[in-house]
Amino acid sequence: MTKEDANRLARAIVEVKERTTICRTCFNVGVGERCAICADERRDPTVVCVVEDPRDIVAIERTREFRGRYHVLGGALSPIEGVGPDQLRIKELLRRIEPERVKEVILCTNPNLEGETTAMYLAKQLAPLGLRVTRIASGLPVGGDLEYADELTLGRALEGRREVQP
Amino acid sequence: MELRPLAGGLTVVTGENGSGKTSLLEAIAYAGSLRSMRDSPRESLVRIGAERAVVRLEAADGARRTLLEIELAPRGRDRVLRNRQRVGRVQELVETLRTTVFSPDDLEIVKGGPERRRALLDDVVVAARPGLASTRQVVERVLRQRNTLLKSAGGRLSAEVAATLDVWDAQLAGAGTQLTEAREALLEEMGPAASAAFSQLAGTEAGLELSYRRSYEGDLGSALATGRTSDLRREATTVGPHRDELLISSAGLDARTRLSQGRQRCVTLALRLAAHEVVARYAGTTPVLLLDDAFSELDERTARALLEELPPGQAILTTAGGLPPGAKASGVVHLEGGRIVR
Repeated sequence: MTKEDANRLARAIVEVKERTTICRTCFNVGVGERCAICADERRDPTVVCVVEDPRDIVAIERTREFRGRYHVLGGALSPIEGVGPDQLRIKELLRRIEPERVKEVILCTNPNLEGETTAMYLAKQLAPLGLRVTRIASGLPVGGDLEYADELTLGRALEGRREVQP
Repeated sequence: MELRPLAGGLTVVTGENGSGKTSLLEAIAYAGSLRSMRDSPRESLVRIGAERAVVRLEAADGARRTLLEIELAPRGRDRVLRNRQRVGRVQELVETLRTTVFSPDDLEIVKGGPERRRALLDDVVVAARPGLASTRQVVERVLRQRNTLLKSAGGRLSAEVAATLDVWDAQLAGAGTQLTEAREALLEEMGPAASAAFSQLAGTEAGLELSYRRSYEGDLGSALATGRTSDLRREATTVGPHRDELLISSAGLDARTRLSQGRQRCVTLALRLAAHEVVARYAGTTPVLLLDDAFSELDERTARALLEELPPGQAILTTAGGLPPGAKASGVVHLEGGRIVR
């Protein structure tokens, strides 16, 4: 790497650090007070997808299947790592429901133990608010082989089964 | 070092104490389970001063060959490849390589605390039904999470602690019940085989009784709810699969306290043989027998009886001395200072 390249890289890092902010609404990374997704008027504010980390938003956006808004928790429940409900942006999520007229919350936390537990916790917190709460389907990978699925995954896939339209 | 054990028969590994015989077996067992057969802490699986340990192993099932590569560092997660592809689940390793280990430490299964007997059962559960490998891991992890939460609560049941405990309890109830039921079902299948093997090994009429005692009555979810106050006080989870007991007796005598040491050895051998048989039946393939100095503590009669009871298949035996009487080795390798010298 030449000295000039090194300087350019260094400036780029400083610029990213100075310009990026955390969105005040959804806690995604962005520029300015609101992230690009929250600022986009064409997106449906009544459906909110809850994720652990801003990187999860990147993955979901790539599918182009989702046109609602997001909420970043900043992790998952894990007492071992000192993370309880207060360390996650759960109160902030609950405060968004009424003013933004949210009708559906999609729980998109990771399909591991901590993510599942966090989804279960959120479902309980959201239940009294009388809106639709859904969990992203987890189960067999597309193209996966039934024979090789572990029993927890298979069990969950069975729980989340749906009707097949003829 | 590189070992080429013979496919069908008995490969004998000789060498003095400290020459690396047990480490060799440990490496094979680890490749199929990501667990130490001796319950050694992770750091001690990597040679002192080395950054990592690497196990490379080719498993053959008929014409199908599978290459397993495991890289373990003293800390952090293992890097695991199967046929050069990243593997995310232990299940995939178990499906490739199952082992049955016999070791002098096995005496602890009978004499030691209940955790050794639960570990034996869980090893059988996972080898027989690899789909439950993740269930075992979830149970262990939920317990760590729940116990940490109980400790941090400092004995007080705030609304937040109660709400968080609710969801951890639901996870523990689900995975814990699945594990418990699998243990009970497999133990039931092990019973007759273990009893028959014990009679043969000990040369007695008396058989062996195996029974499972749950740490709770009714369903686990309700038991966790009932036990919550006392759990908070003790800062530990007092009911669940981690508190259940495997009880072993012969002719009504508790194996742990009432049998002679010679008989206790026969009990452990019988348990291993029964486990081997049940796993082979479920898996449709015979686990590799790893006999770690397995004959050194046995009297001649028991050693002969064990040799007769050992099922056919691939076996690797380590010994510091000679071969047990009557054993026929198909191949012998000799170790010195961690290397194969011939």
